[in-house]
Amino acid sequence: MKRNTLTLLTGGVVLLIFVAMLFGYQVRKTESAVVTTFGKYSSTRSEPGLYFRLPWPIQSVHRFDNRTRNFAKKYEQTTTRDGRILMIEVYLGWRVTDPRIFLERFGGDLDRAESNLEILLRAAQNSVVGQHPLSDFISTNADELKFDDIETEMLAAIKPRAAANSGIEVVLLGIKQIGLPESITTKVFERMKAEREQLVKQFQGEGAAEAIRIRSEADYERDKILAEAERRATVIKGQADAASAAALKTFEQDPELAVFLLKLNALEQSLKERATLILDTKTPPFDLLKGQPELPAKTR
Amino acid sequence: MNDPHHPPAQPSSPQPPPAPAGPGSTPPVPLEDASSQALAEALRSSFAIVKVIMVGLVLLFLGSGIFVVKPGEVAVLLRFGKPVGTGAERLLEPGWHWAWPYPIDQPVRIRVGESHTVTSTAGWHATTPELEAQNQDPPPRGFLSPEADGYTLTADGNIMHARATIKYRISDPIQYTFDFANGNEILTNVVNNALFYAAARVTADDALYKNKAAYRDLVLERVRQKVETLQLGIALEPSDVETKAPVDVREAFEQVNAAEQEKSKVMSDARGYRDEVTRKAVGEAQAILSSGLVSSNRIVSDLAAFASYFQDQLPYYRRDPRLFENRLLTTTMERVLTNAQDKFFQPERIDELRLLLSREPLKREVPATR
Repeated sequence: MKRNTLTLLTGGVVLLIFVAMLFGYQVRKTESAVVTTFGKYSSTRSEPGLYFRLPWPIQSVHRFDNRTRNFAKKYEQTTTRDGRILMIEVYLGWRVTDPRIFLERFGGDLDRAESNLEILLRAAQNSVVGQHPLSDFISTNADELKFDDIETEMLAAIKPRAAANSGIEVVLLGIKQIGLPESITTKVFERMKAEREQLVKQFQGEGAAEAIRIRSEADYERDKILAEAERRATVIKGQADAASAAALKTFEQDPELAVFLLKLNALEQSLKERATLILDTKTPPFDLLKGQPELPAKTR
Repeated sequence: MNDPHHPPAQPSSPQPPPAPAGPGSTPPVPLEDASSQALAEALRSSFAIVKVIMVGLVLLFLGSGIFVVKPGEVAVLLRFGKPVGTGAERLLEPGWHWAWPYPIDQPVRIRVGESHTVTSTAGWHATTPELEAQNQDPPPRGFLSPEADGYTLTADGNIMHARATIKYRISDPIQYTFDFANGNEILTNVVNNALFYAAARVTADDALYKNKAAYRDLVLERVRQKVETLQLGIALEPSDVETKAPVDVREAFEQVNAAEQEKSKVMSDARGYRDEVTRKAVGEAQAILSSGLVSSNRIVSDLAAFASYFQDQLPYYRRDPRLFENRLLTTTMERVLTNAQDKFFQPERIDELRLLLSREPLKREVPATR
């Protein structure tokens, strides 16, 4: 009896698995599913879980990944409002929101859905870019830039079109790259070179002019400092002269003696070093030689 | 030992006694019984084997639910496709785990420990792995092809190459895995977008040389904002942004840099001259002032000393002025004549005196140099 119970249990489990596989299907967290009966739509399952179905070929289950997928359109040429030709590539994130419509419209084929998205994206991109001048894309004035606005406008343009009769929601959109046609890049290079040459000249001129200015200022400052020092030194000397005037009262007692002493002092000071004197007999003390017997001239 | 549930079978009716075995005779065996017994035995054995196999399969089935979450991974268990648990409980940490076997449960492993890297796919020039390894650029062609060469447009309408390498970790495995079919691809395009967004608002000179950090910060901030808005479930790590001038115009940019450096050097030299001249002038001014002070002190002190001398000599002078003058004059002449280097005496009879003087040249002062 015990052996029979185990056997029955085992058989029951195997049978249950078989029946579950035949009559049930799972919808994963990342999926949504459409059930068709003899090819006709029956139901949609968007929540994960285990669901009942009639076995094939009566019912079929079509599963779709409902996560956000990445898609980028080709790098294509377009024109701005001010007639500038731009190359632009836009990417977007999309996901299946209505699997029934998605199945009916594209047969569940992701490539077909993305081809359709590319057409819609091209139309949205050309329409939005055509409403903006180039300065909305690139500008040294950050207030002029409308990078985010352009992306938002493109998303707003494509979103309802993608949702209508496609079962798709475009959840994000961004500019992947912006460029210029090949022939224009040559012109840009030429302009860039010319601008750099101009900058080289500008820097050279600025450097020389600035150096001259700094040096001139330095010379002026030096002269100013020295002149100020001279002025102050003169003032100090003047103050000294004024202070020494008090001594003159002493000399007033006998100006002749004072002058005589000053002369003597000046004489001695001026002939202190490396002096060459030419003297005659009138000069004391050589006046003593006057009237004496003639002597041979003796020098040194 | 008897089974109480299965008491030994008792003969319900009297059976004929077995025939006595005599010499030269064998007991008769019924052929049907033997074959039935063999068949029954074979069936019992087969059934036992099948049961063992089935039990083994059941055990194998149950055992197949054991799985390992490796270090650096977490796992989410899907039961009939639905995540088991709520919030943080949904994440299974590294270690051994058991789940009902497929198709009931299904573990989804997510690598969260390692750092992932994405590199922008737009904005960089065409290159080859060999050139990249040697850090070399392709030769200049005079143009850039939109299909092959990536580049960005800067705010001043110039062209530059830019490349970002973004590192990240998965911070929310549920969001990263279950909301996006390929989060890596979306992040790559977000990084591409950030390169162009940031380039559109900086000048080429800034992004390439003067303020590369500002450009890098703009790119990374844009990526951070987008990642946050899209709820990609990742945490960004320190990343890098490179910029490079197109090879066709790089020399022109380098010349500008050289000119700018030269300008800085010329100005730096001029500032050095200014500092030197100013310091020297301040020193000279100090010397002039000192000299003035010394000179004024000397004037005052000399005059005071002379006045004192005058006062001392005045009584002697007044006593006999002529004698006094002659005495002082003679004494002074003695000192003067003693100190004089050359002395010539001119006798009265010489009418004309011609002197050839040879003087030492004066020392030239060295002028201040600029």
